[in-house]
Amino acid sequence: MIARVAGAAAMLALLLAPVLASPYQLTLLLPAFAYAIALLGLNLLFGTTGLLSFGHALFVALGAYTAAWLTTRAGVLALEAIVLAAAALAAVIALPVGLLCVRYVKISFGMLTLAFGMLFYSFLYKFYLVTGGDEGIRVLRPRLLGQTFAGLDKVGFLTGPFYYYALALLVLAALVMRRIVRSPFGLSLRAIRENPDKAAFVGVSVRRYRFYAFMIAAVFGAVGGALLAVPTGLADPQLAYWTHSGNLVFMLLLGGFHHFLGPVVGAVVFIFLQDAVMSLTAYWRFVFGALLAVVVIFFPGGLLGLLARERPA
Amino acid sequence: MLELRDVDVFIDASQILRKVTLSAGESEAICLVGRNGAGKTTTLRTIMGYRRPAAGTITFKGEAIGGLPTHAIAARGIGFAPEDSGVFADLSVAENIEIATWTRPGGRPAAERLALAYEIFPRLRGYAARGGAQLSGGERKMLSIARALALDPDLLVLDEPFEGLSPAIIPLIGESISAITRLGRTIVIAESNIHHVPAWTRRLYVIERGEIIFAGTLDEAHRDRAVLRVIGGRAS
Repeated sequence: MIARVAGAAAMLALLLAPVLASPYQLTLLLPAFAYAIALLGLNLLFGTTGLLSFGHALFVALGAYTAAWLTTRAGVLALEAIVLAAAALAAVIALPVGLLCVRYVKISFGMLTLAFGMLFYSFLYKFYLVTGGDEGIRVLRPRLLGQTFAGLDKVGFLTGPFYYYALALLVLAALVMRRIVRSPFGLSLRAIRENPDKAAFVGVSVRRYRFYAFMIAAVFGAVGGALLAVPTGLADPQLAYWTHSGNLVFMLLLGGFHHFLGPVVGAVVFIFLQDAVMSLTAYWRFVFGALLAVVVIFFPGGLLGLLARERPA
Repeated sequence: MLELRDVDVFIDASQILRKVTLSAGESEAICLVGRNGAGKTTTLRTIMGYRRPAAGTITFKGEAIGGLPTHAIAARGIGFAPEDSGVFADLSVAENIEIATWTRPGGRPAAERLALAYEIFPRLRGYAARGGAQLSGGERKMLSIARALALDPDLLVLDEPFEGLSPAIIPLIGESISAITRLGRTIVIAESNIHHVPAWTRRLYVIERGEIIFAGTLDEAHRDRAVLRVIGGRAS
């Protein structure tokens, strides 16, 4: 009940934010929305299935580069098309990567995803002709539902139409993910997380289901990445670097991976916290490292773990 | 229904099962009796595909299943209730049972399968919303068998369904298992205590050091000195 009221209040606040909040705060919410979508996917893999990926940034970068490449090089400006293309490309890449990675679990899975992430980073860095190398590729302003919003300047576009577009996409992603988590498929993933041996004799094809979870996570990652690239205006190789994957895991731990909305809370809090700490000190990484240690040691359930005593799916 | 012929199983370098041969016909209930460490659990886990036989064949409904992955064996209609019950602590009682209706669709409708599972174990109905971790040992055993039943299996493989339970609850579970046999399902039970072997067991196999040393009826087993020396009398 309390959770429901809090959720409704948060949703209302997000809907009214363009009126109430400053443009600066709004531009901070945009990457938070994008990360939240990517993290919903990552959490299906980690929180629900029990597989920790250290290479999820690969798919975020893939989505961002799809947006960059399509807007700058191919002249495709419709964001709907960009998001769908990012999702499709992620599925294509995740097919071989996932087939290989899900053969392993625990640290081997984590290291293998890390390896693929760094492989992609090197590709982005070195293949100058395709990827723009270390300079990356610019992302042009996309069209939203066929509208160009030519009358708005960049900030007006981002904090107005694009804000609602990103919020709508996040809500849609959350609804889809909720369907997935609560489906028989989601239940099977939870069974796998608890004990793959047990899941097998109940009839769950463990490797296949892990693979499906990997594919879904990849698609969500790329959709988040495409959305992330628009306010940034640039896709660069750092997006695929392993520290970026680490940040994603950090956000998940911060928000609470046992809770369905943990990824969303984690993304929003991380972005605002990072902004606040960065404005105070150049040693923000030090502060964040200490914070991560505190979360892992004292609050392993993350922020939502503090609020909710029980552990919903 | 199920037939093992000359099955050898090794774990690392040591041979655990030697030429294990046993069979369970349609609607038959058989019991595999032996002391701890004799190879009962290994036999059942080999049937379930957790161990690959080094030699010998395992056939189920006339098809070889030796070497298939576990989930594929379950999908062919073998419900398994392991010794430790294998209840998912993170899932509710209802979800623990329902999952089996989803992983093996087809056959009887899910609602019918769930109704049957609760009918056989009425006690679980009151616990449906509880978490799998909030159950007693006996309730976990019940849930484990109920879940195996919800898979709509033709064969149930139960590993020591009475082990570690209070004497008060043993007849309750025994009655439930007997009700399952009356449904015409084939059952293979592993049991370390011959006094727990249900009277309606059609055939008894005694396993000792990985070898089947006796096959016959319960009465014959009670008359066989070698059998009694191995498994008789000890534990209550």
